[in-house]
Amino acid sequence: MGGVFQVGTFIFSIISFLIVFFFIQRFAFRPLAKMLEQRRQHVESQITEAEKSREEAASLLAEQRRLLDEARKEAKNLLDAARVRADEQAREILLKAEEEASRILEENRQAIVRERDEALAAVTQRVAELSVELTAKLLHSHVSPELHREMVAEAEKRLGELVC
Amino acid sequence: MPVFPTLFAGTIWQTNVTVIATIFLTGLIIFVVLRVGLARMDMRRPRGLQNLIEWAAEFATNMARETMPTEQSVNFILPLAFVMLLFLFVANWLGLIMSITVHFNPPMSVWGLTPSDLAGSKGDIELFDSPTSNMSMALALAIMVWVISHARGLRHPKQWLRHFYSPSPLAVIEEITNPLTHGMRLYGNIFAGEALLGIMLRAPFALHWIPWQLPLIVLWLFYSGFVATIQAYVFSILMCLYVGNKSFEGHAHD
Repeated sequence: MGGVFQVGTFIFSIISFLIVFFFIQRFAFRPLAKMLEQRRQHVESQITEAEKSREEAASLLAEQRRLLDEARKEAKNLLDAARVRADEQAREILLKAEEEASRILEENRQAIVRERDEALAAVTQRVAELSVELTAKLLHSHVSPELHREMVAEAEKRLGELVC
Repeated sequence: MPVFPTLFAGTIWQTNVTVIATIFLTGLIIFVVLRVGLARMDMRRPRGLQNLIEWAAEFATNMARETMPTEQSVNFILPLAFVMLLFLFVANWLGLIMSITVHFNPPMSVWGLTPSDLAGSKGDIELFDSPTSNMSMALALAIMVWVISHARGLRHPKQWLRHFYSPSPLAVIEEITNPLTHGMRLYGNIFAGEALLGIMLRAPFALHWIPWQLPLIVLWLFYSGFVATIQAYVFSILMCLYVGNKSFEGHAHD
């Protein structure tokens, strides 16, 4: 009878298959499909997230590199400026020191000259007085005060000529 | 000719109870396997049976994607394709795994069968068989697919009308041959496999003790298993193809 077409079998087969289909679809396939869809979305979101974070990391890295370059450049600039300033300062200090030295030298030289002159003058005066006194003693006091003063002036003048 | 327990015998509504029962049994097997496999469903770490089920779902999805014009129609047919694939796979294998026959001697009136029916089958009544080895059932599935495909085609009535004559009027003939071959192919393959198996099982031993048919049975069992699997796939992919052919929203713009 398997080979004979039966209307009842035909109709009840469709009905029972549809019942079976409904139950499997409702209680087995739908959760499965939902889970698969969930997984698909999860994977998709993970991938986009990973891509996004990779992009972010790349941009951060570029930013860091840029900052590092900037910092390095700035440090170089600072160093250069410092070096220039240091050179200038050194030159200034050197100049000032030289000036100071020359000034001190000059002052000392002047002082020496002045003292020498003073000493010379003192010595000249003393020698003049002594020579006049000596002359006066030799002449046994035949010297009037006027003459004495004249002679001292004369001696001082001659000595000055002699020394200078 | 094997006979089956029958409901509404003698009327036009004559129904093969074995077929209906095995349809429900097939559904029950699939349902239980799926529920067990998905009981501890885990999105992140699929394991064991869940892998197998996911593989089957993916297989059905790929099958539908290859044959359907749009993603929308894929989503429409996917549950049916998945269920049909598993259903036919299990149903085709049922008759290979076992068949139950009761023998009545002498022929009597039992389960809606008359003594003459029983005499025709030598008193054997089949209680367990592949539902798909029944012509009415196989044709029922094919016609159901045909109705579904046309119901889907009627969502775009203009294109549905045009597709009968637009490439060639032979399309009208196809509307009759397609479901017929669709169902008969399934029925013929499964029925032939089981019929030959039954004949070999019933053949007497040579010299009453040499089981000469044993290697043939094993060989035929392997081949029938192969055919059963292939036919499940063929029927499902043809179903997708037929429904896809009448899903006009994909080529609405041409």
